[in-house]
Amino acid sequence: MYKLLLCWKYLRTRYLAMVCIVSVMLGVATLIVVNSVMGGFSTKLKERLHGLLSDVVLEAYDYDGFTDAPSKMALIRNDPFLSNEVEAMTATLEIFAMLQFNFREVPFTRPVRIIGIEPEGRKAVGGFAEHLVNPKNHENPTFNLDENARERFIIRRASRGIDFPGPREAPNLNEPPPPDPPPSKPHEPQGVILGYAIAHYRDRNAPADLVNKDVRTLEPGDEVVITTVSGAKMSPVFDRFVVSDYFKSEMSEYDSNYVFMPIEHLQKLRTMEDRVTSIQIKLKDYNKAPKVVARLRELFANAPLEVQTWEQKQGAVLAAIRVEKGILNILLFLIIAVAGFGILAIFSMIVVEKTRDIGILKALGASNGGILTIFIGYGFLLGLVGAGLGTIIGLEITVHINDIEKLIANVTGQDIFPRDVYYFDKIPTDINLFSVFLVNLGSIGIAVLFSILPALRASMLHPVRALRYE
Amino acid sequence: MAGNTFMYAQNLHKIYRKNAISTPVLKGVDMEVAEGEFLSVVGASGSGKSTLMHLLGSLDKPDVGEIYYREKRIDNLSADKRDHLRNHDFGFIFQFYHLLPELTALENVMIPLMIRSSVFSWLGNGSVARKRAITLMEKVGLGHRMHHLPKELSGGEMQRTAIARALIGNPALLFADEPTGNLDEDTGREIVQLLRELNEIDNVTIIMVTHNLEIARGTHRIIKLVAGHVEVPLQQHPEAFGVVRPESFDNLPEDENHPDETRRPAGI
Ligand SMILES: Nc1ncnc2c1ncn2[C@@H]1O[C@H](COP(=O)(O)OP(=O)(O)OP(=O)(O)O)[C@@H](O)[C@H]1O
Ligand SMILES: [Mg+2]
Repeated sequence: MYKLLLCWKYLRTRYLAMVCIVSVMLGVATLIVVNSVMGGFSTKLKERLHGLLSDVVLEAYDYDGFTDAPSKMALIRNDPFLSNEVEAMTATLEIFAMLQFNFREVPFTRPVRIIGIEPEGRKAVGGFAEHLVNPKNHENPTFNLDENARERFIIRRASRGIDFPGPREAPNLNEPPPPDPPPSKPHEPQGVILGYAIAHYRDRNAPADLVNKDVRTLEPGDEVVITTVSGAKMSPVFDRFVVSDYFKSEMSEYDSNYVFMPIEHLQKLRTMEDRVTSIQIKLKDYNKAPKVVARLRELFANAPLEVQTWEQKQGAVLAAIRVEKGILNILLFLIIAVAGFGILAIFSMIVVEKTRDIGILKALGASNGGILTIFIGYGFLLGLVGAGLGTIIGLEITVHINDIEKLIANVTGQDIFPRDVYYFDKIPTDINLFSVFLVNLGSIGIAVLFSILPALRASMLHPVRALRYE
Repeated sequence: MAGNTFMYAQNLHKIYRKNAISTPVLKGVDMEVAEGEFLSVVGASGSGKSTLMHLLGSLDKPDVGEIYYREKRIDNLSADKRDHLRNHDFGFIFQFYHLLPELTALENVMIPLMIRSSVFSWLGNGSVARKRAITLMEKVGLGHRMHHLPKELSGGEMQRTAIARALIGNPALLFADEPTGNLDEDTGREIVQLLRELNEIDNVTIIMVTHNLEIARGTHRIIKLVAGHVEVPLQQHPEAFGVVRPESFDNLPEDENHPDETRRPAGI
């Protein structure tokens, strides 16, 4: 009983102990905040890396693609194992291209990747429709212009305010023309969905209080010209398109490169009807992905196709994230180890200071084990209180990290989290309760571990020597 | 050897060694105390009085010699038996009070009972212990000072608290090492009066080290430590409980027993 009483009294009366508590507390709080933010970044990044990729991708080795996607999908659908695992699939055709447009009478050209898709099928596989800017497209993604866009298109077409470099109407002799326009209306080019960053740039000189600093270079209804290569002979082909919507996944690689258009249109443009470059497959249970991949490889053993999960495709980046997180955690744990040495030093001081009390307790019949328990219990208590406070503070900071960031930015005038660099609206956080628990366990463990040595010394003190100690 | 003595020690030697220098402090002490006796130990500073008390109180072990308590040898007991003995049978009072500074007077008094009980048994009988501590505090005249910290008490009050603490375990034997050494004369006399009452009324056997011969004369018997031996008793009370002088006392070599022997200065 006296052990408990003394632990408690020592905790309350030793200001040095507060130093231990504070150092454990800071260590724990830092670990929790950094872990949560790192976790947030990596979850978000993973989400985005997954982004456009479906769970499993069946893909051709080159841009030429492969034929007969429907029959391959039928083969998958008829396979007894795969049919149970596959939730949805869709074929896509990918190719690099040049995008040209006028902004404020100045012509711009930029490289892009065109992805030909079948909107409904692509939506079923996921990672597409929910990123479209026009909310109408979330339910029913289409490449058709909405009212405003069509109006804008007609006005601009009428005023002829745009002028593209190069030939205006496709004077293609060898290639078939784009799909026939509806005869009744004025010719309206095919709609395309542009990556958000293609059509916007961030104005660094905008007033600070402006919420949306993005300047739009292409409105829905504006015309663009896309040039790419045909399938077999690699000769250039191009066509006029009109912007119908934006794709904003917040993954800058996608947002600044991807242009979506209907797959049939792209096939016609490239004269490679019936060819696709990949089949995207969504699984019912991603945990079964390795088995599905194995089965697919078996099924298409003779075709020049590669089968990969999205993680395999992004393997290098994911591995880098994992390694980075691991190293950071080790480094941060050193913080707590430093706190541990603080405990060691301070405890040794407290033992010296308490030498006579230890002698008294022994004279009154306290055992060596009892004295040992007092000091180890004391270390445990310090660790517990420090870790508890640290957890509370760490979680508080994590939850309010964006407010805190804003506050610091306001006070110092320094932007800590430049949003256009990370392309996040706010600092992402992901509190993992298990890792919070581990951090607590680890820091309490370290507090106890580092109190063992001084505690042993205290328990080994000879009572007479301790009593004579001045 | 006296078979019925409460506690007796035979041929106690204690040598402090530090590096190559060894300091022999006790060189064959024989002594005894009878049940209910109030014994004073006197001697020059550094003569080993505290050392003797520590040995008798089983806080330390003699290099040579044996100590018997209630017919049982106690100097070679295991650590936990010695802890138990100190907690249940012995009480200690020190010159510098030795209260725990973080605890209130009352908590200090309860400590020996806390040491012997676990948290759970304390939950059961803690209130009984508390009542007993309060009774003892009142008995030593500190009923109004129970919740003060040691630093808020005067020397006399601290020593009374220490006495209450020594008594709470119902000890049969009380060791008091210069209990009045740090107190003014009047306060010291009060403390000794308190001890004498304990001895007479509660029949607690007391061994007290003191420098004050006047105080020592108020006790049943005095032994003097000189040069590591017990010298001829200065005063033998008539009611000296029939304590037999150990034979070995007569066999001491004369030269070592010389009272005028020059001693090296005492240290602690
Ligand atoms: N740990 C130690 N190492 C070496 N010498 C010691 C040690 N402890 C005590 N001594 C020596 O033992 C001798 C006896 O010490 P002790 O404290 O028993 O004397 P004392 O009679 O109680 O003196 P005082 O009246 O001053 O309290 C002293 O000379 C002291 O220097
Ligand atoms: Mg002494």
